[in-house]
Amino acid sequence: MGGRLIDVGVCSAVLAVTMTAGIASAETHKELRFNVAPKAALSVNNPYGSVSVKPATGNSVVVNAVLWSDKVEVDNNFAGNRVDLQSHLLPGADAQSGRVDYEILVPPDTSLALHSSSGALRAEKLHGDVTLEGAAASVELRDINDAHVHVKTLNGPVTLTNVQSGYVEVDSLSGNVTLNGVNGPLVQVISTSGGISYLGDFGDHGEYRLTSHSGNIEAVVPDSTSADVSARSVRGEVHDDIPLQPKQHTSFVLKEGSAFWGTMGRAAVSSTVVLRSFDGKIHLRKRSAK
Amino acid sequence: MTCVELQESLIENDTGSTAAQRAHLKDCPHCADLVADLLVIACAAGDLRAAHEPGPHVWNSIESTLRREGIIKPFAHRSLLPSLTGSWGWATWALPVAAIVLISVGILVRPHGLSPELRTEGVTSRPASDAALDASIAGLNDNDLLAELAEQAPTLQAQYTENLRNVNDYIRDAKHSLEANPNDDEARRALMDAYQQKAMLFELALDRSLP
Repeated sequence: MGGRLIDVGVCSAVLAVTMTAGIASAETHKELRFNVAPKAALSVNNPYGSVSVKPATGNSVVVNAVLWSDKVEVDNNFAGNRVDLQSHLLPGADAQSGRVDYEILVPPDTSLALHSSSGALRAEKLHGDVTLEGAAASVELRDINDAHVHVKTLNGPVTLTNVQSGYVEVDSLSGNVTLNGVNGPLVQVISTSGGISYLGDFGDHGEYRLTSHSGNIEAVVPDSTSADVSARSVRGEVHDDIPLQPKQHTSFVLKEGSAFWGTMGRAAVSSTVVLRSFDGKIHLRKRSAK
Repeated sequence: MTCVELQESLIENDTGSTAAQRAHLKDCPHCADLVADLLVIACAAGDLRAAHEPGPHVWNSIESTLRREGIIKPFAHRSLLPSLTGSWGWATWALPVAAIVLISVGILVRPHGLSPELRTEGVTSRPASDAALDASIAGLNDNDLLAELAEQAPTLQAQYTENLRNVNDYIRDAKHSLEANPNDDEARRALMDAYQQKAMLFELALDRSLP
């Protein structure tokens, strides 16, 4: 197709298309390879289907795509150390026939921007910036270090595991957000009706803001946690299972059962934690010993 | 974040409500003025578009010229510029306009961060009241979005409708909270968060996610 651009002078692309026999649908496998410099960028726009990104040794971006029919193509563009992949829907394509599943290997310092309407978006063991966006797409991030992480979903669930030293911003309208071992200078989750679950120690000197209009918020922390925690729900309940040293001065009225504000652990190394809801319940509790 | 970085980030992040942006806008009257000016332009642009929208041949001519000069490429079989004649039509352009409006609403509810001049003079160039502002936002967004969804992606209409209702509830509650506690920074921030959620809903619906 005329829209397919490959800068063959810059990239050494190996294109292998194999028709898989014996499958009722016209499923096609496609492999692409791009040689990149450090801190490359990868963008994938995939309306239907999943995108999974894992680290690889070397300096290549290797793309394995499974096209579920001949009503979808994979267009690619490589220029300026940036790889762009686009699932191009042909006339008559729908959620089934337009589906493409990507398995991509990248150098760990690659920056990612992944978009999908309904497929799963996954990335792991990377330290480049990550932007994941999709309406119903589920998002899973694991083992990400020293990166800016931006996630946007409509109702797709978001799970972040072991994201260290990150600037993390998650926005979801109604998808549940789960953070497990996520810390850094900024960790912010905003949701309208989705629940938010945080499991971790809130790091050191970070700002953690977990906000949901009507979703419940739960934070489960170990004994070693040091944090200034304020929690407030306008109409929901607030529960605190951990003894806090109360603040002398507060910027809002601490109404029993709907708000608390205090310090846990060592104040000198504490992070700032803000938990806010209008209708949802907020629960701060200690992680049970295993 | 410097002023240059802020201005660049407004292009890349259409909600304009990241922590870094908010921190900068709070302390920089110059950039706050800039964002307020963008609001005026956005509002005026909406009126101009309705009154003086060029014909499709104009946009086709511009697009073909840009392609011929190599400024945009035919990658992905879609123009890098949203087409006013496409299935999403003006709605694609409405997204950045809506985002700017929402950003500016965020600025409006953060009076401590703005210069006194902006607080007084800026109001005169904005809608006269909150109610008018709400109406313009609703007029720009909700009904048009739902109509487009009904036509282009009916299977998604129910979930967007529900989320739209929820986020409007969020905005309403946040506004009430701020009205009850006008000096509460957290209440102010909650209203910004609510508007940011609504901006994101429109971004997801209009920009990228829908095939």
